[in-house]
Amino acid sequence: MPTPAVLATRGLVAGYEADQPIVHGLDFSVAAGELVVILGPNGAGKSTFVKAIAGLVPVHAGTTLLGGVDVTHLPADEKIRHGLAFVPQTENVFATLSIRDNLRLAADILPKTARHPRIEELYAMFPDLADRDSRRAGALSGGQRQMLAIARALIVRPLVLILDEPSAGLSPKIVAEVFAQLKTINRTGVAIVLVEQNIKAALAVADRAVILVEGRLRHEGTAEGLADDPRVAELYLGVRPAANPPAATP
Amino acid sequence: MNPQALMDGLVSGSMIGLGAVGITLTYSILRFANFAHGDFISWGAYFALAVAGTLGAAFSGLTTPIGPFSFGWALPLAALVAVALNGGLALLVDALLFGRLRKHHSTVIIMVMASFGAALTLRSLLEFIFSARPAYYSKALQIALPLGGGIRATPDQLLSLAVAVVLVVAVHLLLTRTAIGRAMRAVSENMALAGLVGIRVRRVIRVVWLLGAGLAAIAGVTAGLLVQIRPQMGLDLLLPLFAAAILGGIGSVPGAMLAGLIIGLSEAIAVQLVGAQWRAGVSFVILVAVLLARPQGLFGRAE
Repeated sequence: MPTPAVLATRGLVAGYEADQPIVHGLDFSVAAGELVVILGPNGAGKSTFVKAIAGLVPVHAGTTLLGGVDVTHLPADEKIRHGLAFVPQTENVFATLSIRDNLRLAADILPKTARHPRIEELYAMFPDLADRDSRRAGALSGGQRQMLAIARALIVRPLVLILDEPSAGLSPKIVAEVFAQLKTINRTGVAIVLVEQNIKAALAVADRAVILVEGRLRHEGTAEGLADDPRVAELYLGVRPAANPPAATP
Repeated sequence: MNPQALMDGLVSGSMIGLGAVGITLTYSILRFANFAHGDFISWGAYFALAVAGTLGAAFSGLTTPIGPFSFGWALPLAALVAVALNGGLALLVDALLFGRLRKHHSTVIIMVMASFGAALTLRSLLEFIFSARPAYYSKALQIALPLGGGIRATPDQLLSLAVAVVLVVAVHLLLTRTAIGRAMRAVSENMALAGLVGIRVRRVIRVVWLLGAGLAAIAGVTAGLLVQIRPQMGLDLLLPLFAAAILGGIGSVPGAMLAGLIIGLSEAIAVQLVGAQWRAGVSFVILVAVLLARPQGLFGRAE
């Protein structure tokens, strides 16, 4: 019996203008404890799709179900209360506030007695942040900022964590650390949806991958199978296949 | 130079600072220059006038001056009611005008033009209801107390100064030590991200209007107490208010207060040195100089 989806979209149409949608009727789902990566060429609508799920881009048709509840048109500040956490690609921390204040802001939606213990739990998970507790987030390195953004998103114990290109602008060593941390979080049962351009690193940690092209779902499969499929790389990701590719099927 | 200019400058500077705090809060969080803020100051003054008059008529004992001051308990009570009424007025204007424009993602220039329209409407309404004739909370004469060094001040002036300092410290503590203050700073920095972390942005915006309009009401009451109450009083303060908000650095509450005092003192000194007709020009010169030399102001961060 398949695992029920914790997050699902049905026929989602989204975009900044109603008459010019960027996402065209997408069906997508992720199960609890699953890590799904969304791939696709530039302009495929990957970021728009996850922003629409998070409540940052208008949805013109279709539904988003979170834990079976229709959250399609809820504002972002309500979706986080339902367990949907989103980490944007850029400007994902409050640069003028300290690390602790960034975490306290997110913790403010928890019951009062749960706030401090939860922040301490996150500090235990991200010891680098604990060591710099009072430092302004704007003074952190790119990798530390990304860790802070992820820690802040985890404060509410989300059902689903969505990250928009968390590896952007980071060195390969830091990317490896960020992805290892995501895998650790994923093993605790949090469903993760990852939008990525760093195909190799993303497929290495993902269970499943979907490929979007021009706002439509074009391919879906296990991360392992997709990583080994040169036709997919050539057709949808713009990667030239290695020598002696298999013959294309008509 | 007459040392009395220092006291005059500090007193008028404290009023400017109080109004500038409201401007800086709305500017940093709502992201537009609200030219109606001066008229919230006027409305605050008139709300207090109407309530104090009503209280005085109902309970004559409330008009008996308190200690050395020129006013009775009717005015402080009326000022508290004016804070609440002015907050309600600001929320009404937001619901009818600015909120609708935000919903349509209007550009900054549209918001600024709308605030001009709101300012004109609010001012015209005041003239319609109360007339353009000056009014006073009290016509009692006060003897200025010698403070040393050739400086004198009336008890009303000293009280106004103290109230302004206490309120600015209170707002600064609210912003830096409380959850709602943290939320306000977060919305000021990145409204979309604030929503993503669960901050109820609409609630924060309502708090900003209440706070800004409440401070405007107190600024209006102190201005009315020390000078006179006129529908144009807020308009006359508008340039010094914006000069103080920008000089202090947008978003900085202590900066707005300090800059208000600097502008008040500069105006008072200019009156002494070059004549009262140049008073209004001082704020303009400071505003232009800051925009050219240090656009982020004294306490703002360069973008």
